[in-house]
Amino acid sequence: MADTKTLTGKIEYVSMGTGAWALVSDGVTYEIYNGEPSAIQQEGATVQVVGKIRDDVMSLAAIGPILEVVSFEIVE
Amino acid sequence: MKRFLLALLFCLGLGWAIASFDGLASQGTYDSLVLDFREDIAPAEVERAIGAIADEYGLAPRFNSEFSAADNVYIVRGDAALLDTLRQELRDVTEFVEPNYVYSIPEISAVGLDGGGRGKDSGPTVPNDPLYAKQWNFKAIGVEQAWLDSNGGGVTVAVIDTGVSPVPDLKETELADGYDFVNDRPDATDDNGHGTHVAGTIAQSTNNGYGVAGIAHGATIMPLKVLGKGGGGTVADIAEAIRFAADNGADVINMSLGGGGESSLMKEAIEHAHSQGVVVIAAAGNANQNSAGYPARYERVVGVSAVDSTGAKAPYSNFGAGVDIAAPGGNTKESQIGGILQNTIDAKGESVFASLQGTSMAAPHVAGVAALVKAAGIDDPDEIREIVLQSALEPSDDPLNHFGAGKLDAAAAVKLAIDGQITPRDFARWLRDNGYLNPKFWIDGGVVALPMKLAMVIGGYLLAWLLRVYFPFRWSWPLATGIVMGSSGLFFLRGFYIFDLPQWPLRVAGSSIPELGTAVQGSAALNPIFASVLIPAGLLVLLLGHRNLKWWAIGSLLGVSACLAVSAVADPELLWLGKGFVARGFLGLNALLCFGLAKLSLRPSET
Repeated sequence: MADTKTLTGKIEYVSMGTGAWALVSDGVTYEIYNGEPSAIQQEGATVQVVGKIRDDVMSLAAIGPILEVVSFEIVE
Repeated sequence: MKRFLLALLFCLGLGWAIASFDGLASQGTYDSLVLDFREDIAPAEVERAIGAIADEYGLAPRFNSEFSAADNVYIVRGDAALLDTLRQELRDVTEFVEPNYVYSIPEISAVGLDGGGRGKDSGPTVPNDPLYAKQWNFKAIGVEQAWLDSNGGGVTVAVIDTGVSPVPDLKETELADGYDFVNDRPDATDDNGHGTHVAGTIAQSTNNGYGVAGIAHGATIMPLKVLGKGGGGTVADIAEAIRFAADNGADVINMSLGGGGESSLMKEAIEHAHSQGVVVIAAAGNANQNSAGYPARYERVVGVSAVDSTGAKAPYSNFGAGVDIAAPGGNTKESQIGGILQNTIDAKGESVFASLQGTSMAAPHVAGVAALVKAAGIDDPDEIREIVLQSALEPSDDPLNHFGAGKLDAAAAVKLAIDGQITPRDFARWLRDNGYLNPKFWIDGGVVALPMKLAMVIGGYLLAWLLRVYFPFRWSWPLATGIVMGSSGLFFLRGFYIFDLPQWPLRVAGSSIPELGTAVQGSAALNPIFASVLIPAGLLVLLLGHRNLKWWAIGSLLGVSACLAVSAVADPELLWLGKGFVARGFLGLNALLCFGLAKLSLRPSET
C-alpha cells in the first residue's frame, strides 16, 4: 500500500457516469475513493487531505488517481 | 455423334425445365373459388346451375360483394379438386372458374427487433420504444441497419460494474446468473445506477412499447458487481469477475471502469478470458489525458474513447495510446439531450431514465456491436475485434489518436460479419496495414506521412549528390545528420507514446528544423519562420569556421531545401499564409535559397 500523502485543494463534483467526488490539487484531479467520508462532499470547499493513492482500485468515473481519504480538514 | 448427344442432353434439360415450371400462380394459396357466369345467359339458368352445385357438393355460393351481382361473380369455398370438377361441370355456363388467390404483403421479419440471432433483409427497423427518438447515439452508429441482420440473440455479455437492477425496461431482457464480488453473494443488484445504465445500452428491452432501446437486445446480460455504491472497487475483485465471466459462458465482457496501475493479476485474468474466446471491451477513461487508463490499456482489451453528438472527441475522453476505437459517450455539459439515455435507478433505487456521459457510456456501444457481430456468426474473439475495428468509420485526420481505428459503425460491422469478407488473407493484410504487424503502427501513420518524409530525406541526399558532381567533397557524418535534421528529423519519434508522459517532447525530438515551429502544439501546418532559410543560414554563419561542424550546417541547408521543396509540391500549409499559392511560393523560394546558400558555401572548400 502506498504511503500517505498530504494534499490541499478544492472539492469538486464531477458528472462522469453516475458522478464522482474529486479533489483538485495543483492541477491534478484525484478521485475520492467511493466519495468517502461523506462529510467531504462539499462542492467548492478547500480542504487539506491526508490520504493514500490506491493503485489497486478502479472506478466507474476514471477521472484520475484514486485517493483514499484517511483524514481531512476544511481549510475554507 | 458427339454433337447429337449434346443436342439430346440439351433437349432433355429444356424439357425437364419446362415440365418442372409450375407457373407463377402456383405459388399462391387459396381456400375459395371464383365462378364467373356468362352474362349472355338467362338469370334463371344461372340460378339453376348454382342450385345444382349447391345441392350436389353442399356449397353455399355467395356474391363476392354487392358489386358482383351485375357481373354474375360468385364465390364458393373449395380446393383444387373441386376446381377441376366445377370447371368441367359449369363449362357451358361460365366464363371462367378459378382459384380465389389470397394476396398479402410478405411478412416483415424484423428479426433484429423480435428475436433470433440473425434475420432477413427487410428495410430499416425502427423500434416502437417511445423514447427511442432521443437516442441520437444509436442513429450515430447506424444500429437500425444492423438490426436487420442481428440482435445479439444467443450471446452473453458480462457487465463488470456496479451490478444490474431489474428496472422495468430490462423486463424482457434475459439475465444470466451473476455475482456480487463486493458483498460476496450471488445477487448482483445495482446500488449505484451505473451498471444498470451500461447494461441498458447493451441490451435494454427493445420494441416493447416502453422507454428506450438497446443495441444487442437479444443478448443475455451477466451482471457482475465489482464496484461499490460509491463507484470504486478493487483490482482483485475485478480480476475475479473477469475469470467468473470467462468460466461461465460470457462471450463479451464490458468494463466501464478504469484507474489504478498495471496489475499482473488483472492482466492474467484478461489473458484467460481471451483464451476462452471472450472479447474484452473497456472504457478509455475520463481524464482528458494522453493514453488510456487500465484496463483499456491492456493489449487484449479494446479501449474505447468517447465522442459527442457531433462526432467530435468528448472533452473528457482520454486519447492517444490504448485507444482502439471511438463510440458515443455523449456530453451533458450544455444539456441532458447530449447524454446517453437509458433506464436505470436513481439514488433512492427507483427506476429513472437518466442521461449520462463518459467513456463508460461509449464502451457498452462497442460491447453491444461485438455481440451483434458474434450473433451474426463470428466466433473467434480476434476476428470479432478486427471486424469491429475494421468497419469503423476512419477519421480523415487524427494526429493525436482521438478515435483509434475510427468511429463505431454497427451497420458496417454486421455487414462485414455477414458478407464474410474477412478471409485469412484479408485479415492478415489488414493487420499488416493497420495493426500490430506493421511498422506504421509504431510510427503511427496518422502522425507521420511516411512517403513525404522519405521523399524529404532522399531529396536531401539527391541535392548533396548533385552538388558533389560540381564540387567534390567527402560524405561525412555531420553532413548526413545535417541532411536528416533539416529534411525529416527523427520522424519516427513523433509517433511514440510513452504512457503517462506528455507527448510534445517526443514531437519536438522527432521534428525536422522546418517543423520545430509548430511541434509543441502538434499542428500539421508549418511555421514560416522555421520553414525558411533563416535557421540553416544562421547555423552556417555560426559554424562556417569549424572544420567538421560546417558540414552539419551545409547538410541542414540541403535537408531543409528538400523538405521545403517537397512541402511546396505536396502539402503547402503554413501558419498565417494558408495553403494557397502564397505558401507554395514562399516554400519554393526558401528551398531555392537554401540550395543556393549550400552551393555558395561549398565554393571556398574547393579553393
